[in-house]
Amino acid sequence: MKTLIAIPAYNEQASIGAVIADLAGHHPLEHVIVIDDGSRDATSQIAKDAGVRVLRHAINLGVGAAMGTAFKYAARNGYEAMVQLDADGQHRPEFLGTLLQHTGDFDIVIGSRFAEQSDYRSTWARRTVQRIIAWAVSAYARTRLSDATSGFRVSGPRAIELFAQHYPVEFLGDTVESIVLASRHGLSVVEVPVVMNERAGGLPSQSIFRASLYTGRILLILVLAGFRSSPPGIAAARKRAKRESESQK
Amino acid sequence: MNPQILSIVLSVIMLIAVLGLLRSYVLPEKYAVIWLLAAIAGVVLSVFPGILAAVAGFFGVAQPINLLFVAGFFIVLLLLMQLSLELARTRDELRKVVQSMAIDMEEKTSND
Repeated sequence: MKTLIAIPAYNEQASIGAVIADLAGHHPLEHVIVIDDGSRDATSQIAKDAGVRVLRHAINLGVGAAMGTAFKYAARNGYEAMVQLDADGQHRPEFLGTLLQHTGDFDIVIGSRFAEQSDYRSTWARRTVQRIIAWAVSAYARTRLSDATSGFRVSGPRAIELFAQHYPVEFLGDTVESIVLASRHGLSVVEVPVVMNERAGGLPSQSIFRASLYTGRILLILVLAGFRSSPPGIAAARKRAKRESESQK
Repeated sequence: MNPQILSIVLSVIMLIAVLGLLRSYVLPEKYAVIWLLAAIAGVVLSVFPGILAAVAGFFGVAQPINLLFVAGFFIVLLLLMQLSLELARTRDELRKVVQSMAIDMEEKTSND
């Protein structure tokens, strides 16, 4: 299976080099791209020197837009699977095999910190937030998803096609909304347990106040996503596909 | 005719318009909260005008409708200010994109 690894990065010069070096033993670097989302540091240069392709946004658009770019690139270059990997070193490349192993059977495979055998430790506030979000997202996807905000995931060919047309851009909500979008368009989602490294940088949900604000935002996004129709890009592509299949008859 | 009916009809039209725009992905999430709140507040205030009167009484405003004008005008000013800032930021981003495109195009053509 032709697999692309996409690393969205914004001002990650401290960690991007190590992440790519770590990845080199697990995946051919010609099939790795870094999407530099308008960094003002040496992220692009370090990634290029490490031997991977770099797509650079001229301005900072947010991680959702960076993933949108990655999915468009994957679709245009005929990739059958795309792995999203964080640039901060949180995701361990030795679990790539675990994720990819399930890609034939499911459209989206999510690496979960909270599924059994995982020893990821976090604060009480974070765990509560994750639990509320997980409960709501699981209801949409009709399968147990304990770590819906995990960015360590594989998208199969059908998911790449869908997300190349539209990927949610809402700040910090893209991981969750993309699952809802995928489920609504008949794609299957599954989670597999992985172990992650502790994150170096700050998180949006450290204090209880910020945690509840974050949860509120994600829940609003979920409610909106459930209530909305198909995004215009996807709706247009579906119509086009339908017309073509009808004209062939 | 009771003017309350007119205000209820207008605020419900507003709410339906906001929901329709949200549903069709025309209005992004970022602005959804403020417009939903405004539309719901409009419906609630026109169905229960007593709320406005009570709040006006609390602030010592003799005519409740004047409180609505002051508050409404203030909120509209805030929204306008926010739009100005957003527009300035968007122009700034557009400039950056066009500049970096110009540099990229030059590099591309001089490599050929």
